[in-house]
Order: sequence, then C-alpha cells, then structure tokens
Amino acid sequence: MFKLNLKIALRNLWKNKGITAINVGGLAIALAAFILVMLYATYETSFDKKLPNYKNIYLVGRIYPDFKTNYTAPPLAKAIKQNFGEVEKVGVTKAAGFEFALSKDAQVFFMKNCLILDYNAAQMFDLKPSGGLTEPHADNRLMYVNNEGMKILFPHKKDNKPEIVAVGGKSSGQTATISGTILTNPQSNLTFDGVAIAKELDTYLDYGYNNYNTYIQVKPGTDIENLTSKITSLYRKELLKGETDQSTINEIKAINVFLDPLKNLHLKPKAGNDANYKVLIAISVLGFLILVIAGINFTNLSIAQATKRAKEVGVKKVMGAFRLQLTTQFLLEIFMQCFVATLLGLILAELVLPKFNSLFMVDLTIWRFENNLFWQLILVLIFITIVAGLYPSLVLSKFNPAAVLKGNFSTTKKSYWLRNGLLVMQFTIAVIFIIGLLTINSQLKYMRTQDIGFNTNQVVNIKNLTYFNTAKDFEPLREKVLKIEGVKSATVASEIPVGAENGSNSYSIEGQEANIEFLDVDFDYFETLNIKVKEGRSFSKTFNADTVNSAILNESAIAKYNLKNPIGKIIRGCNTDYKIVGVIKDFKTQGFQEAVKPTIYAMKNPCGNSKTQILLKIDEQYMTSALAALKSQWPTINKRDGENFRYEFLDELYGKLFKKQEQLQSVFFVAALITIFIAILGLYAFAKYITNGRIKEIAVRKILGANDIQIFKLINTSFFVMVIIANLIAWPLAYILIKKWLATFAYRIDIPMLPFALSAFITICLTVITVSIQAKKAVKSNPVDALKYE
Amino acid sequence: MIELKNIEKYYANKGVKSYILRHVTTSIKQGEFISIMGPSGAGKSTLLNILGMLEEPTYGEYHFMGEDVTAMNERKRIELYRNHIGFVFQAYHLIDEMTVAENIEAPLLYKKIPGAERKSRIADVLDRFNMVAKKDLFPNQLSGGQQQLVGIARALVAQPSIILADEPTGNLQSAQAEQIMDLFKKLNEEEGITILQVTHSEKNAQYGNRILTIEDGVIKEDVSVNN
Repeated sequence: MFKLNLKIALRNLWKNKGITAINVGGLAIALAAFILVMLYATYETSFDKKLPNYKNIYLVGRIYPDFKTNYTAPPLAKAIKQNFGEVEKVGVTKAAGFEFALSKDAQVFFMKNCLILDYNAAQMFDLKPSGGLTEPHADNRLMYVNNEGMKILFPHKKDNKPEIVAVGGKSSGQTATISGTILTNPQSNLTFDGVAIAKELDTYLDYGYNNYNTYIQVKPGTDIENLTSKITSLYRKELLKGETDQSTINEIKAINVFLDPLKNLHLKPKAGNDANYKVLIAISVLGFLILVIAGINFTNLSIAQATKRAKEVGVKKVMGAFRLQLTTQFLLEIFMQCFVATLLGLILAELVLPKFNSLFMVDLTIWRFENNLFWQLILVLIFITIVAGLYPSLVLSKFNPAAVLKGNFSTTKKSYWLRNGLLVMQFTIAVIFIIGLLTINSQLKYMRTQDIGFNTNQVVNIKNLTYFNTAKDFEPLREKVLKIEGVKSATVASEIPVGAENGSNSYSIEGQEANIEFLDVDFDYFETLNIKVKEGRSFSKTFNADTVNSAILNESAIAKYNLKNPIGKIIRGCNTDYKIVGVIKDFKTQGFQEAVKPTIYAMKNPCGNSKTQILLKIDEQYMTSALAALKSQWPTINKRDGENFRYEFLDELYGKLFKKQEQLQSVFFVAALITIFIAILGLYAFAKYITNGRIKEIAVRKILGANDIQIFKLINTSFFVMVIIANLIAWPLAYILIKKWLATFAYRIDIPMLPFALSAFITICLTVITVSIQAKKAVKSNPVDALKYE
Repeated sequence: MIELKNIEKYYANKGVKSYILRHVTTSIKQGEFISIMGPSGAGKSTLLNILGMLEEPTYGEYHFMGEDVTAMNERKRIELYRNHIGFVFQAYHLIDEMTVAENIEAPLLYKKIPGAERKSRIADVLDRFNMVAKKDLFPNQLSGGQQQLVGIARALVAQPSIILADEPTGNLQSAQAEQIMDLFKKLNEEEGITILQVTHSEKNAQYGNRILTIEDGVIKEDVSVNN
C-alpha cells in the first residue's frame, strides 16, 4: 500500500509541476533563511560553552549610582580569593590597549589585541598554548602569538623552541621572547591575537587602577546572590581603609558589586552593549516569520489542491479506507515535499553562507560535525509537516464520499475564509517588511548626509606607541610633519572621535557639580577636525596658559551647567582650576545612536589618559605622496614605531559606527524580498485555483454579455480588498515597530509617511499583475468549452 | 439479504420538510438483479446511497445481512465496504494517477490481501475482461466503455456479495452500454452476485429480474421481469 501511495503521490506532484515547484521552492527558500538564522543563533549563544566550568564562571563588575563597569582593580581579586572559600579560582585579565609591532629581521607582525592575563584566568578559559599551559615563574611572563603571527614572523619554523623578537621600532631596542603559538577561539569572550601569561598580574597596584577584568570560578551550587553581597561589603571595606573624608565615605557606600555569569557576557552583559542580542532577536523573529509565511503558503496551496483529490478520497472511502489511512497518506505526501524542500534549503543556505558570513563577520559552516543543526532540522521538518500538512490532510480525508462522487463538488465557504485570512496575514507581514526596509533606508540616508559637526575627510589617524602628554613633547613631531607637502595640520589626543569612550569625571562651576566627559587634546585639534567654535576661541600658541589650565567646553556641557556667559568662568576638576576660553559646537563622535555627551577639552589633565592618537589633515591632492613621505621619514620622526608606519582614514573608521545598522538593512532587504516573493508565489497559485474554480461562472457571465474588463475587475476585486485589509492591519503594527527602532537613535528622522503609501502601492500593483495573469486565461477561454456537460 | 422498513429521507428547511423518500419498505434477496427506475429527482440515487451506506435515512430501519445499519459504527461500516459491497459509478471515478492494474489492486490493499494473491486475482480479472494489454495504461488513455469495464473490475475484484451501480451506462454509447449490461447479467447468473442498478433506460432495466419504480420518493411499482 505504501508503495502505491508513494507512486500516486509522485504522479500527482509531477502532474501539478508548477504548483509543486512553487510549494517546494518557497519552502526551500524559507528553510534556507531559517537554517542560517539557526546557525547564527547557535553560534552567538555558545560562546565559551565548551569550557569545563562554563556554568560556574562569573565576571566581577561594579555598579556606581550613574554607571556600570566590568573593570576592577587587581587587589580585589586577591581579596576575594583570600576571603571566600566557595570561590575556587580568581583570574585577572587586562587588554594591552595599544597596537605594537613584533619583528624578526624583515618580518613584521602587528599585534593589535594583546591580552595580558594571569595563570588562573588562562586555566579558567582553557587556553591552549603550544606545549601545553604551564605556570610561569613569578617574574616572567610567557608570551604566545596566534598561528598567523607565528607564520609571519617565522615562516620556516618547525620546532617548538622559544624565539626572540624585537618590539616596536628596530631602533627602540626592546625585545621579547615568544614561547610559542596559541590557539584562538572566535567563540570566546576572550579575544586576542597574542597573550602574555603571568603567574600573578600586577598585584602590587592599589584600588585606583580599575582597568582589569576579574573572573571568578565558584564551587557548583554556590548562592550567587549571597556571594555578591559578601563581595560588595568586602569591596567597600577595602576602599574605606584609611578614608576620612565624609563625602568620599558616602560615595563608597553607594558602590555595589555584581557578578555576571559567563553565558551572558557575550550577548547581554550587565555592563556594556547588548546590540548583538537585539540583532539576534530581530533576525530570529525574521527567520521564524519567513518560515511561518512559507508554511501558510504550503497550507493554502495544499487546500487549494484538495478538490482535485476529492474524487480519490471518495473512491478510496467506498473501497474501505479508514480516515486515518487517508490522513497519513496526505501527511506523507506533504512530508516528502518538506523533505525535498529541506534538502534544497540546505543547498541554498550553503550557497549564501559566504555572503552571510562576511556580512556578520562570523565563520559559520553547515557541515560541522559537532553542531546541532541536524537534529534541529529534523525537528523543524516534522514541525513544518505537521503545521503545514495537518489541516489540509484533515480537510481532505473528511470529504463525504456521497457528496464527492455525485460530481458537482466544491469546497465550502468556511475554508475560503481560512485561506483568505492566511493570505491577508502573509501580505501583512510583507507590508511590514517593506515599510521597515524603506524606513531603515531613510534613517541610514539621513545618517550619511546629516552634518555630524566635524569633518572626517582627509584626516589620517596614525598608530603610535609614544606618549605626547605635553604640548612640548609633540611640537618636534608636528614641525617635522608639517614640512611634508600637503600636510595641513597635525594634532594629538587621548582618543579618536569615532566611537571611542571618553573618560568621565566630576567638574564644578560656581559650586555646581556634574559628571562630564573629558578629552585631552593638543593645539590644532579643532582645526584638524574642522569643528566650529561657537563662542570665544580655540587653543592657540599665543596664549601660554592654554598648555596649563585653559579649557574648552561643548554646547552640551554649557547646557548641562546652564551657563549664560561661560567665557572666562572657572571650571574645577581633578584638583585643577580651568578657565573656560571657548565653546565649540556639539559634534557627534558616537554616531547617531547616542546623544552628544557634555565634554570638557583641555591640553593638560592630571586625571586623563595618555595622548597617543596622532591626527593629520592632509590635502587630498597630495594624499599619496604625503603618506609615502611620512612612511619613509617615520623612523626619524617617531623612533618608537620607526619603520612600522601604519595609518587609518578617519572617515572609514567613522563609517564602522554604521556597521550594525547596515547589517540590519541588508537582513531586512533580504527578508522583505523573500517574504514578498513567497507571498506572490502563494498569490499566484491561489489566483490560479480561484480562477479555475470560477471558469463556469465567468463563462455564464460572458454569455450574459460581460466584457473582458468587467471580468478582470470581477476576479481582481476580492484580492484587491484582501491586500487593502493587509495594509490596514500592517500600518499600525509597522508604525509601532518603527517608532521603537527609531527611539534607539538620539538623532533620527520623523516617521515618514512615504513608506506606508509606497508599500500599499507596491503590494497592490504586484497583486493586480499576478491575478490578472491568471484572469487573462479565464477571459480568453471559450465559454462553450466551460459549459459543456461533463 | 437487505431489509428496508419504512425508510424516510427529508430535509427540513424553515420548518418545511421536503421529502426525498417516503415509506420505502422492501426486501432484497441474495442473487437478485434489481433495476431502480423513475423520473429525474424521484429519489433513485438517494435510495441507492442509503443502501450503500453513503447517506443515512432520517427515519426507518435498514438491516444488511441481518445487522442493523443505522446503529452501526464507522469501523463496522468500513468492514462491510471492504468485504460485501462494490460500487460502480456513472462517471467511473477511477483514480487518475493510478494505472488500470493499480486501480484494480486498490480495494485489495484495504482488504489486506497478501501480495501474491493480489497479483493472481488482478491477472484473473484482467484476463476475464480482456484487458491484459491495457493494464499499464492510465484511465485517460481509455475509452469511456473501457473505463467503465475497469470500474466494474475494481468492484468485482474484492469479491463482493452486492454491486451497487448508479447509472453505470449513463455516459456510454449504446454498443458499449450493451456490453456492460451483458456483463452484469452474466455476473448475476453465473456467480450469483446481487446487483442493484439505477437506470433511466427501459431496455437496460430488462436485463434484471425485478424493477422498482420510484416516483416522488414513493415506490410506485415493484414487478418481476421474466426473460
């Protein structure tokens, strides 16, 4: 019986090649999208999952009344280890924070992201250096580079012996010993291209050096809430030691400690950015919706096919088939189609995977042995079969043989309602996607064309290892650089204005205190970036005080202190009295998502960070020659970097701030395209079915004198109404979603009305065209053929 | 074999009953060949559907081989389909996606007859109907008469005790119709299969040995035919 049913199924599918192709093809596309989403979701949620103590590792962070941070000081680690028995291990890590060159003879490897950590942390994260993880001696750090670095430095290396390399410029004379290579894992919260493992990390430092990460590994079953409060009181107690100032004591008492489990660190850390998580949720929803749409299509088309199979059902029933046998038969048929669709989906996914990988900057593969994709796919296959197939199989197997075998049989109005409802739902989702896509486009266009308050064009950021903390330090370099043809201005700052987080501190003006950000700059900073001075003046060499205690504030800072005449007023912070000499217009260093922060700019700041970021403005015309000249002269201009002259264009760096939004745009573009495509496929088949069902009616109407246009109108009307309804349902939903999305931007467009009108126009046009193609056949046919007695 | 007692079938619409069948009482014995006749809309097909258990009477008693059909559950009814009843339709109702041989095989599959016996029975039936050469053709490759032959073969292969035929020759030309009626007569006489057919044609009705005439839902005449 199975064999016979299989044969019937195949013959049936072959007979309706067109519809079968639409059915299977639509589902395959949706499954391909879903497979990619599943791969991505699995990838993103399995960071560090293979670590033996995955569930017991926590990051220690601090909560202040107005901010949270993952950074802690090294003594805290020691204190935790000494005080709490339930903590098995405490590890400390620190990013080197700057890029430096390792070289051997002519080979140079730029280490961009060196991670310094202690032996405990290395154990916790199961680091695997060549020759195995060994405990370093107290005064020695074991340095490892990744495979790529080792290949660059020692292309012919075969043994595992340590090698000595030069650090920085050749003339700087520093060396380091590379103990071997280390495996890197892109799916780890610890990212690096090289590591330095110490026995213990900087334990001599005090609690002021908060630029370390502390990880703890607790015993299984530890009460984390209890431990958190115990660490909080320990931390407060340590800070309070020898503290007498009452306001400081109050401040310390407001500090809390949090423990962030390892599984949350990548996607939704307590302190930090959860953009990845949002993107993951968004594309999971998209993937699921696409699958739902394809499922709907499948159901719709299967029901539409049902009348064709009605006779078979009737005959089989009078031959003595149980209803269950028929249900199983149809479910099996649908399963077969789903199975083929899954295979096609896998192939499709494999084809688009490289594009997906480059878009999301990941390295996913389908054919990896250990991933769960296969049993997930089997589950999805069963799920889809049941969701898409159960209803049609039940409808089909329910047919009453007496009614079916009489001849003039048609499905009831009830299933029309269901099918129309499903079609409306498909179009609703498609409309939401179209509106979403158009709105994302206009917001991105706005972000690209809007004045950001400064000019990143022709500004070059040069990588540098030297500290230029005073104006005098930087002056010789500036002089040499300005001699090169085309270099218009040169400056140095503690951060580059493209997404970098500035430090913040408390400053007071006329007794009014506020926490604002600070940035340490040099002469010509505002000129290089073309930032407009609103009041007063910029820093200038003609004023000696500028290198000591002059400050410039931005508009936001003026607004925060609510100052009327800021020029000449004193702002106090970090034990320094600064005189405000100018006010600059706000400029968007963080892109469009965050509002410009109130910021103070000064040339000297005892609390600030080192000034290392060199920025040069170079005339477009001379760009190539100037960069070539800089490269050749760099060993004399800046000894520490020497021949390792590296630069980046500021506008490219600024463009990276838009990366996440551009990802979202691409995903939406593809999703909108797929949903529209699948919806149109469904509509096409549905229109075909409806038109076929109405051939008799159309023939009668033609005999009664209806002309072609009236017939077109007749067939189009119901679809037209459905699309309008879909638009009406989609608009408020899209409005809410868009509003939510736009709310994540500090600088955004008003919700535009054009996408709403445009989506209606697009869907209506597509519907009318699709339906009319089908209607044309009915209109062209000869009424006599349709009315002939069967 | 079949006992009908006071069978009624009506549709109630806004309190008005429109009767299809009224007070139908009759009995059918094993081995009879009965033709049901009457004008269009008289209720012939409904009576046949009730006999074939495709429709339920609104009122009345129906005993099939001594069992009360109205009280029968679905499973039991399906058992009867499998073992005792063969249907032949005016529009043949062959399954388009199956070949001739497969169409004939289908009822045997539901009867769970083993493969070897299925093959021999199909071969036997094909042979008897002279259709061996056509066994791998699809229904739409056959003429109407040939399709109806397959339809009858399909009804016969399960070795039913009764064949219910609703205007089996309604779509056929007269020569083919004659061939079908001869076949029915032969089956009835040689194998003792009970046959019940609905027909419009006086001539076809003469092949049987009893004619029931229905008008407006009531049995007007019940006569034996001597041929």
